[in-house]
Amino acid sequence: MFSDVRYRLRAIFNRDAMDQELEEELSAHIERETEKYVRMGLSRAEAERRARVAFGGKERIKDDARDARGTTVWDSFLQDARYALRGLRSKPGFTAAVLIALGLGVGANTAMFGIVDRLLFRPPAYLADEERIHRIFVHYVWNAESRLEASHSYLRFQQLTAVPSLDLTAAFDERRVEVGQGVDAREFPIAGVSATLFDFFDVRPALGRFFTADEDRTPVGAAVVVLGYDFWQTEYGGARDVIGTTIYAGSLPHTIVGVAPPGFTGFSERERPALYIPITTVAYNISKDYYQNHGWTWLSMYARRRSGSTIAAANADLTTAYQRSWNAEREASGSSASWPTARVANAYASVAPVQSARGPDAGTDARVATWVMGVVVIVLLVACANVANLLLARAASRRRETALRLALGVSTRRLLQQLLTESLVLAALGGALGLALATWGGRVLRALFLPEAGSVPVASDGRTLVFLGVTTLGVALLTGLAPAFAALRDDVAGSLKAGQREGTYRRSHARTALLLFQGALSVVLLVGAGLFVRSLNNVRNMRLGYDVDPVVVVQGRIRAELNGAQVDALGARLLNAALTTPGVQSATLTASIPFGGNEGRGFPFYPGADTARIRRGLRYMLQAGTPQYFATLGTRILRGRGITDADRGNTPPVVIVNQAMADRLWPGEDPLGKQLRVGEARNPYMTVVGVAENMRGSQIENASENWYYIPWEQYRAIFDGQPYGVLVRVNGRAEDFVDVLRRRLQAEMPGNSYVRAGALRAFVGPRQRAWEFGAKMFVAFGALALGLAAIGLYSVVAYAVAQRSHELGVRMALGASVRDVLRMVVGQGVSFAVAGIVIGGVIALWAGKWVQPLLFDQAARDPAVFAIVGLVLIIASVAATIGPAWRATRVDPTVALRSD
Amino acid sequence: MDDRLDLPQGTLDLLILKALSLGAQHGWAISERIHDVSRATLQIPQGSLYPALHRLERRGWIRAEWGASDNNRRAKYYELTRTGKKQLQAETAAWDKLTTAVDLVLRMV
Repeated sequence: MFSDVRYRLRAIFNRDAMDQELEEELSAHIERETEKYVRMGLSRAEAERRARVAFGGKERIKDDARDARGTTVWDSFLQDARYALRGLRSKPGFTAAVLIALGLGVGANTAMFGIVDRLLFRPPAYLADEERIHRIFVHYVWNAESRLEASHSYLRFQQLTAVPSLDLTAAFDERRVEVGQGVDAREFPIAGVSATLFDFFDVRPALGRFFTADEDRTPVGAAVVVLGYDFWQTEYGGARDVIGTTIYAGSLPHTIVGVAPPGFTGFSERERPALYIPITTVAYNISKDYYQNHGWTWLSMYARRRSGSTIAAANADLTTAYQRSWNAEREASGSSASWPTARVANAYASVAPVQSARGPDAGTDARVATWVMGVVVIVLLVACANVANLLLARAASRRRETALRLALGVSTRRLLQQLLTESLVLAALGGALGLALATWGGRVLRALFLPEAGSVPVASDGRTLVFLGVTTLGVALLTGLAPAFAALRDDVAGSLKAGQREGTYRRSHARTALLLFQGALSVVLLVGAGLFVRSLNNVRNMRLGYDVDPVVVVQGRIRAELNGAQVDALGARLLNAALTTPGVQSATLTASIPFGGNEGRGFPFYPGADTARIRRGLRYMLQAGTPQYFATLGTRILRGRGITDADRGNTPPVVIVNQAMADRLWPGEDPLGKQLRVGEARNPYMTVVGVAENMRGSQIENASENWYYIPWEQYRAIFDGQPYGVLVRVNGRAEDFVDVLRRRLQAEMPGNSYVRAGALRAFVGPRQRAWEFGAKMFVAFGALALGLAAIGLYSVVAYAVAQRSHELGVRMALGASVRDVLRMVVGQGVSFAVAGIVIGGVIALWAGKWVQPLLFDQAARDPAVFAIVGLVLIIASVAATIGPAWRATRVDPTVALRSD
Repeated sequence: MDDRLDLPQGTLDLLILKALSLGAQHGWAISERIHDVSRATLQIPQGSLYPALHRLERRGWIRAEWGASDNNRRAKYYELTRTGKKQLQAETAAWDKLTTAVDLVLRMV
């Protein structure tokens, strides 16, 4: 058996050498035979003749010997492939059309698969027993609103993970931390991990060791660190003597004990961690009592189910543990007024896949990526339909050839094999083109969807290549089958007898169906494009309640113990440094940044308030600023006043509320002069002195977020608020001022403290990214599908016109005008378009309910979008058919009737 | 012509294996040996030997090697493999059985 395979492989790959050996062997035989006769006394010529007769036909023997090698199928495949290549070379236009369609379809799919695979399917590198590994979430109802928590306190981690159905748990945290000392210090992504993390992976350190459970314990773990492989390579040049040396992470020295293997990222889905540090070490240096209460929810939890225990059992165990942990938390908190006792209900815990895009808190990006994958599959189907159509047209024009071959006794199997080989060759060439396109397009897509994942070229990624191969094969089958069956159904004798004149033009149902299919899918994609473009426009043109482009954000990172007076002094110095920078219009200290995810919250209270109504499902966000706050952000004051220099720490407390909050608290009443209190009962009442316009700074979809603004000094005095940073409004582009502001303000920071600066756009932009992707992708792929469909329509109509020149000639001879002919041909194209619009429109209407949640202020069944798409399709169909129609009018009746 | 026989289907393989059982041979020599030993009764077109040799090689019953022949010319030598030897035994036994049976039938009836 084995020798058989080896022999056949040699026969395939060493074909020429074997043929040469055969020739030599046979010639030698005849030569010996000749010599035998010569020895018997015959003349040389007579001896050669006899030898040849005795031997038999040499060429036939060779063929038989080749057959005996068992490679006939392969040989005939090669023969077909060569034939197909010759055929393709002879029709460059047809070949180019097919290859471009396939290349775009396959390329787009491959590139998109690379993204979706990483988002949804691919487990973290080295992960063992993937199906038993989960991320843990907790759910609860708070304030009549369902909440999902992906981050947990360390105490919760300890309380939740000692349950029977789990046999391994880990805590994982990612943050950016300054690594190194002095001027060389730079921020790197570091992972705080429990020592158990490494047990989830089938992995050994590249150097040294991982840390142990002894080095990861409360209250504080050992100051040890495992280097990420990439970090080791770039920062240490892969030196093996790093073990035992010291590295500064944060402001503390850590001892390097090991290096993680290449590609290892733990459970990180973002940047590759540069360092892995025991999570108890990381936590202690941020908050010393982290393990004693639930005040700080920051880490993600991972767990492995005991083999044999079900997901349901794990969920039940975790829920029991969570409720117990929760009751303990309530008892420990005693009578604290801030404790939301009655409001937390229906608490439960659950496990989910480790890929966050598949978990319950999947972001819009992942959902949009999944949609785009669906879209590119549609594009591939359109491309396939187009190619099948072109092949059908070609099969039709080769009917006489096919009929002749069948009549000459070529077996149908052989004919099918040849047709499928041809589409396989086309698909392979298209796949190669697709690979090139995917390599280029993949970079663009990756930059959009996975900006932090680093670049992995498509061509070296096994999973993506397998996908490409399977897609290419599928395309070959899909596109090859239709023409193959059409060829077989053909009536041999009929075709031969009919010649070119009669019977050659008839409408092919298969081709009509393919055209309608393409048209309908194009409509679906174009409707999607329209909806997303309008969503993007809506989100871009929407007033957020502040100006984004001229604002620079400077965040302070204080790494020193400062008392209240020092904090105030630092704030004043930073503000002054910003204001004295040339080109700066105004500046304000700020408690948070729009979409920075760090706004303070607290429910407002006033005597007689309907607390249930005010609180249900709502959030109230606190913002604080110095007098130039509203001028700096460009937020308009609708009534009353903003913050002024007169609002000091010791003057009567005032507050400015936004319109949404005013309407919510005092519907139909004048908010000015009202009083409200926030947070603890001992806090003073603040008088409402102004109403600001609405603003979106937390959830971009929410048009009526509740915001209230407090003067900076009162924020410091009442809430002991810490400065988060400085917002600076500049004359010109914010990006141009980022660096100078960073340097000016850095100079004011004490000790190891430092600042980070960036444009406000960088915080707002990502919130619009989902619609930007959607719009770009749908427009690009919708246009692609429309182009493909138009080419398909053109080829069908052009073919029909060519085949019907005889009929058209007769019509014109009988008095049909140019207009009649034009109308007839273009009308045919438009009727295809209309049918496509109807079918595609119905599909788009039906799909609307799933698209709706992805749109922004945009109805999924917007009649205007549908109308425009219909118009575009009709224009495209006219454009695609006008050329062939014009050619049809040029048919000379006498020529057409005489020909053939 | 009367004393020459066409070869029954499938027996050529057996003859080749038998011819090789005495040692490695090149194609022409195999043909000569069968011709001589059968006293020229078996009618084999010499060329048909070669497809059969390739088939046997693919099945792993014989192996081929290029070597130098009598007067220092290159020739492709075939020899039996271990499975080839077993196959020869099995086929010889089957052949004996068949001929005995046919013989019996022909004489009894």
